[in-house]
Amino acid sequence: MSKVTKAKYTSEASVGFTHRTAMEEAARCLLCHDAPCSKGCPAGTDPARFIRSIRFRNPKGAAETIRENNVLGGTCARVCPTGDLCEEACSRCGIDKPIEIGKLQRYAVEQEKTFKMKVLKTPAKKKAGKVACVGAGPASLACAAELAKAGYRVTVFEKEEKAGGVLTYGIAPSRLPQAVVDHDVAQVKGLGVKFEFGRKVGDGIDLSQMGFDAVFIGAGLWGGNLPDIPGKGLAGAYTAVDFLKSARTKQEAFDFGKRVVVVGGGDVAVDCAVTAKLLGADEVRIVYRRTLEEAPGSMSEFQYALSLGIGITTNMAPAELVGESKLEYAMFNGRDGKSGLKIAADAIVFATGQKAEDMSKIMPVALNEKGLVKATAKGKTNMAKVFAGGDVVNGGGTVVEAVKAGKDAAASIIAYLEKKGVK
Amino acid sequence: MAVKKDLSIKYLGIECENPFFLSSSPVGGNYEMVAKAYEAGWGGVFFKTVGVFVADECSPRFDQTNKEGLPWLGFKNMEQISDKPTELNFENMMKLKRDYPDKVMVATIMGSSDEEWRALAKMCEQAGADLIEGNFSCPQMTSHAMGADVGTDPELVTAYSKAVTETTKIPFIAKMTPNITNIEIPAIAAIEGGAAGISAINTVKSITNIDFENMTGMPVVNGKSSISGYSGAAIKPIALRFAAQMLQHEKLKNVEISGVGGIETWRDAAEFLALGCRNVQVTTAIMQYGYRIVEDLKSGMMHFMDERGYGKLDDFIGAALPNMIPAEDLNRDFQILPDFNEKKCIGCGRCYVSCFDGAHQAIDWDEKRRKPKLNDHCVGCHLCLNVCPVQGCITPGEIKWKEGRQKTEVALKRNYD
Ligand SMILES: Cc1cc2nc3c(=O)[nH]c(=O)nc-3n(C[C@H](O)[C@H](O)[C@H](O)COP(=O)(O)OP(=O)(O)OC[C@H]3O[C@@H](n4cnc5c(N)ncnc54)[C@H](O)[C@@H]3O)c2cc1C
Ligand SMILES: Cc1cc2nc3c(=O)[nH]c(=O)nc-3n(C[C@H](O)[C@H](O)[C@H](O)COP(=O)(O)O)c2cc1C
Ligand code: SF4
Ligand code: SF4
Repeated sequence: MSKVTKAKYTSEASVGFTHRTAMEEAARCLLCHDAPCSKGCPAGTDPARFIRSIRFRNPKGAAETIRENNVLGGTCARVCPTGDLCEEACSRCGIDKPIEIGKLQRYAVEQEKTFKMKVLKTPAKKKAGKVACVGAGPASLACAAELAKAGYRVTVFEKEEKAGGVLTYGIAPSRLPQAVVDHDVAQVKGLGVKFEFGRKVGDGIDLSQMGFDAVFIGAGLWGGNLPDIPGKGLAGAYTAVDFLKSARTKQEAFDFGKRVVVVGGGDVAVDCAVTAKLLGADEVRIVYRRTLEEAPGSMSEFQYALSLGIGITTNMAPAELVGESKLEYAMFNGRDGKSGLKIAADAIVFATGQKAEDMSKIMPVALNEKGLVKATAKGKTNMAKVFAGGDVVNGGGTVVEAVKAGKDAAASIIAYLEKKGVK
Repeated sequence: MAVKKDLSIKYLGIECENPFFLSSSPVGGNYEMVAKAYEAGWGGVFFKTVGVFVADECSPRFDQTNKEGLPWLGFKNMEQISDKPTELNFENMMKLKRDYPDKVMVATIMGSSDEEWRALAKMCEQAGADLIEGNFSCPQMTSHAMGADVGTDPELVTAYSKAVTETTKIPFIAKMTPNITNIEIPAIAAIEGGAAGISAINTVKSITNIDFENMTGMPVVNGKSSISGYSGAAIKPIALRFAAQMLQHEKLKNVEISGVGGIETWRDAAEFLALGCRNVQVTTAIMQYGYRIVEDLKSGMMHFMDERGYGKLDDFIGAALPNMIPAEDLNRDFQILPDFNEKKCIGCGRCYVSCFDGAHQAIDWDEKRRKPKLNDHCVGCHLCLNVCPVQGCITPGEIKWKEGRQKTEVALKRNYD
C-alpha cells in the first residue's frame, strides 16, 4: 500500500525555512568564486550573492538583492523550475545535492515582509514619458516596475479583476499562495504604477488614442484550445485556463464532478489534476499522448501528482467524447495504433497548450502563423512604439522567462523614449 | 537603491570611510591584495607586520578546527612576520597610499631593539602611513626579543612604544597579546610609552589537533609541530572580553581601541563597537571567504542601523559597555522558567537528556506523547533552551521570585535566533 498525501486546495505543499534552518542550508553553500548558480538564472538573479548575505547574517541584504533584480522574487522562489536552472548548475551537486536555492529565496523574501522593507524606490524627479502595459502578468509587471524605477509613468490595463495573470488565475494556490503574488504585486504598486482592472484592451479601449508614448503587450495566452474531436461541445469539457480560473475564483464552490481526466503532459496538466484532486475529486487521471520522457512537465511535479494519488497514463491520445448532453465517457487511441482506452468521467480538462487571443485588436502589430506577436529578443515589434514579451511572444514559457522579457523590453522602451527625446 | 547609512568614523583623528580594516597578516601583504581589498570596499589596512628581521617560514603552517561539518570554528597558523624585504614592504605601502589616498594605511612594525623600532618608525613616516601599529604580540617568533614575549613585559612595551613615539608624530597603536591574565597591564604600559591606541587581540597560543600518524600536533612539519596562534570565530569571545576589560579600566577608558578576533559578520563587528571599540579588523574570515565579505559587513551594518534608528556609528558605540557588570552585582532574586511550545516541539527529548544529565532533573518525559513536561525542580538555568534544535520552541516564560526577595521589573531577552 502506498501512502497518499491528503491536502486542502489552499494549503501549501511545502514548508519554508526558519531563520535557523535557513542558516543551516546557507552554510552548505560552497560560496563559489565563479558561482555557476548565478549564471543559471534567466532573469539574472544572483543567488550566490544573496545566499552569501544569508550566510553572513544579513537576510535583509539578501532580500534587497532579490527584489532589486526581480520584482517577482517571491513568486519565482515558489514556482521557478530551479531544478533545471540555478540548482542544476550548483557546484555542490559534485558533492551531494544542490543548495535549496528557491527555498532560501523564499526565506529572504519573507524577511522583507516581516520587516516591512520597501526596497524599490522611484527617482525623486519623474519623467514625462507615459507607457501602457497590456496585461498584469509577470511580463508586464516586470516591464512596468523597470520603467517606474527609471521614473516613467506607467499604466497597466488588465482584463481581470486582479493582477498576476497566470499567477493569480492559473497556478494552483498550494504551490503559489495568493498572498505571495499579492506581496509581489504590491511592490509594483508601491512604485506608483497605475492599474486599470476589468479593462480589456481592444474591446472598446483604443490605446493609440490615449496619448501613450509606448505600449508593451504582455497579454499571455488566454485563447483556450479544445482539440477538434467529436463531442468537444459537451458540458464537462474544459480548457485548462478555464478550469483553473474557475477553480481559483470559485474554489470549493466549483462543481465539476467526481471523476476527472486531464489531457496533457506539461506542468499545466499537473496543476489541473492537482487542483481537481485537492478540490475533492475522487478519481483523477492524467492521460498523455507521448511517454513521460518526452513530456515537457518536470518529474518533481509528476511525483507530486502521484503522491496525491493521481494516476498517469501515457501514449494515449483523445479520440472522442461521448454523452447525451453532458460528458459520460472519453475514448482514447493508443500511439501504437492497437491499444485503446475508455474512461468514464464527469469532466475532461484539455491542458494541451493555449493560444493567444487576437492580438491585432490591441495594436496592429505583425503576428506569426500561430497568432503570436513577432518580437525580437529585446522585445521590439514591427511597430516602433510597440513592444512585447512573455508568453504572447514565446508561445508559453516560464514566469522567470516572462520577467526577463519584461525587463529587456523595458530597456528597449527606455532607449526608444530617450532617442525620441521624451524626457 | 539599497539602504544607505553613514558608516564613516574618525579613528585616532584619521577619517575612515568605514570601520572595517584588514588586520595585519597575509591578507594585507602586498600591493595587489590590498588594492583588491580596497576595491571590494574595505576602509583601510593594517599592513602585514614588517621588521628588520625577514621571516623564514615553515611548511605547511596552517590547521583548523571544525565541528559537525560546519565552517572553521578556529584557525591555527605558524606564520611569523612578513617574509618580504623590508624596503619592498614600505614601497608597497607608499604606492598604495599614493593610489588610494582616501583609504587608511596603518603600517604594522616589529623591532627587536630600540634602534630597530626607531628605524622602522622613520620608514613608516617616509612611506606616508596614516597610523603605525606596533606588534607586541605574535606568539610564534623565533626570538624572545620579539612578539608575544615582549607583549607580556610592561617595561619593554613602554620602552619600545617610546622609541616609536619619540621618533614620529604619527599616532601609534600597540597590538596586544591575549596570552596573559591582565591585558590592562601591558596596555597601560603602552599608553605610558606614548601610544594613542590599542589593537586587541593577536592570536591565542594553541595546539589544535594531534596527528596520530606522526604523533605530533598539527600542522606536521617534518614530523614535528609547535604551539602557535589560534584565530577565527572561536576567539571572538576572548577578544570581546579583553576589549571590555580594557575599556572599563579607569586608565584606559578613553583609549581608542581597535577590536580584532573572530569577526566574520556585521553582527560580530557591531558587538565590538557596542562594547566601545572604534575600529575593527579581520583576517581569518578573509582567508576563508575572501575580501567580498565586506559587502555584507557594510550592508548588514547599515540595515542594523536603519532598524535601530542610528544615524551614525557613534550613536551606539559603547552602548553595551555599562551593562557588563561584575558577577557579584547581578540580580539573583529570580528564576525565569522555560516555556515549552507544544506545537513546535518535535519530541526529540534533547532537553530531557540535558536537563537530567547536566542540570536539575526538572523535566519529566512523557513517553507516550514524546513531550517534555517541566516539574518543580527547575532553577531557570536555560540549558534546555540552549540545546533545543527547534527555533522558538523553548522560550523564557514565567518569572519565579525566590522566597522573601523583593519583586522588581525584570529586563529579559525574548528573541533567540
Ligand atoms: C497552469 C499553469 C502553471 C504554470 N506553472 C508554472 C510554473 O510552475 N513555473 C513557471 O515558471 N511557469 C509556469 N507557468 C507558465 C507561466 O505562468 C507563464 O509563462 C507566465 O505567467 C507568462 O507571463 P505573461 O505575463 O507573459 O502572461 P500571463 O501570465 O498570461 O499574463 C497575461 C495577462 O494579460 C491579461 N490580458 C490578456 N489580454 C488582455 C487584454 N486584451 N487587455 C488587458 N489584459 C489582457 C490576462 O488577463 C493576464 O492577466 C504555468 C502556466 C500555467 C498556465
Ligand atoms: C596567518 C596569519 C598571520 C598573521 N600574521 C600577523 C602579523 O604578521 N602581525 C600581526 O600583528 N598579527 C598577525 N596575525 C594576527 C591577526 O592580525 C589577528 O590579530 C588574529 O588573527 C585575530 O583576528 P581574526 O580572528 O580575524 O583572524 C596573523 C594571523 C594569521 C591567521
Ligand atoms: S553554485 Fe551552489 S555551492 Fe556554489 S555558490 Fe551557488 S549555491 Fe553555493
Ligand atoms: S529539545 Fe525542544 S524539540 Fe526536543 S523535546 Fe525538548 S522541547 Fe521538544
